[in-house]
Amino acid sequence: MRPKGEKAMATKKILLVDDSCTARLVNRMIFSQKTNYVLVSAVDGKEAVERAREEKPDLILMDIVMPRMTGLEACRVLKKDKDTERIPIILLTTRGEEKYVQEGYASGCSDYLTKPVNDAELLDLLKAYLGE
Amino acid sequence: MSSTRNGSRPPAQTACQTEPVNGSSGVPAGTEELRRRVQQLSLREQLERHHFLLERLNAASARLIEALEHGDVCEAIGEIIANLIGSEEVAIFHYFPLVRSFKLAWSSGVENDVLRAFGSGAGFLGRAAHGQTSQFPERLVNTPLMCYEKNLTACIVLKSSNEVVGVIAILGLLPQKSCLEWADFELLKFLEVYGAVALQFQRLQQEKVAP
Repeated sequence: MRPKGEKAMATKKILLVDDSCTARLVNRMIFSQKTNYVLVSAVDGKEAVERAREEKPDLILMDIVMPRMTGLEACRVLKKDKDTERIPIILLTTRGEEKYVQEGYASGCSDYLTKPVNDAELLDLLKAYLGE
Repeated sequence: MSSTRNGSRPPAQTACQTEPVNGSSGVPAGTEELRRRVQQLSLREQLERHHFLLERLNAASARLIEALEHGDVCEAIGEIIANLIGSEEVAIFHYFPLVRSFKLAWSSGVENDVLRAFGSGAGFLGRAAHGQTSQFPERLVNTPLMCYEKNLTACIVLKSSNEVVGVIAILGLLPQKSCLEWADFELLKFLEVYGAVALQFQRLQQEKVAP
């Protein structure tokens, strides 16, 4: 049974971008059990840019280190595109040090979370951006 | 913008000091209410912690099964450790008990000379394999570390049917992670058993394929 107040999140769509199958699996579990967000996924930055243009998600949750195109590069591309520039992007990073975080913000991301991701922390942040 | 947060919950409401006394116990009603709420929060936290663990175990087991079909088991174990525990410095060794020797199976983020040193089987890696027990150097403060073990967090034995088939050396944790936590130890116990099963499955598959 879903906690009260979480049904209002039904129409929001999130694009999850991570080359790690484990990360996609665990995030899918968190979302399916605790929220009504619609989740679409991509496995690298290049696919993320394509899917963001097609799907027009309400928010993008994106890993940084990925093959073909990194999360930072994808973030820059999305922020230069008029169709996607307004989509908030949360970067998922293994590196929580200041210089890496600043690099993330410089690429145009709205926020960041460090891995391993904490469920409560992730859901609080999503609520902050997408509303209840 | 925000920095990372810990999943904090709203604090329990503070009790009013001037509330009436509970008839039989002599405890102010507000204090009783506060105690009840604290207990409820604690029970809720227990359930949430357990749920958090189950989600991760579920993801880890799904990832191992997926690796049996389409990928490399060692890479899957490395990915589980990176994403669910928080270390990108991992080496996995096959262990051959009859000759008590190790062979590197997979690694990520570990220097070659450190891998060679671990592969010799001295120190905690050997201790884990020969003793069939995972080792956590932090718990053994009186045991001296070899120079290449300075960054070692754990040596996890992969044990299938009472036989050690491999050992995972987990070196440095991610900077934002200071130590292993309760859920990490549970996940490592899962890998001890099911990581070993998956590794053995893959070995048999490779033997079958090899001429």
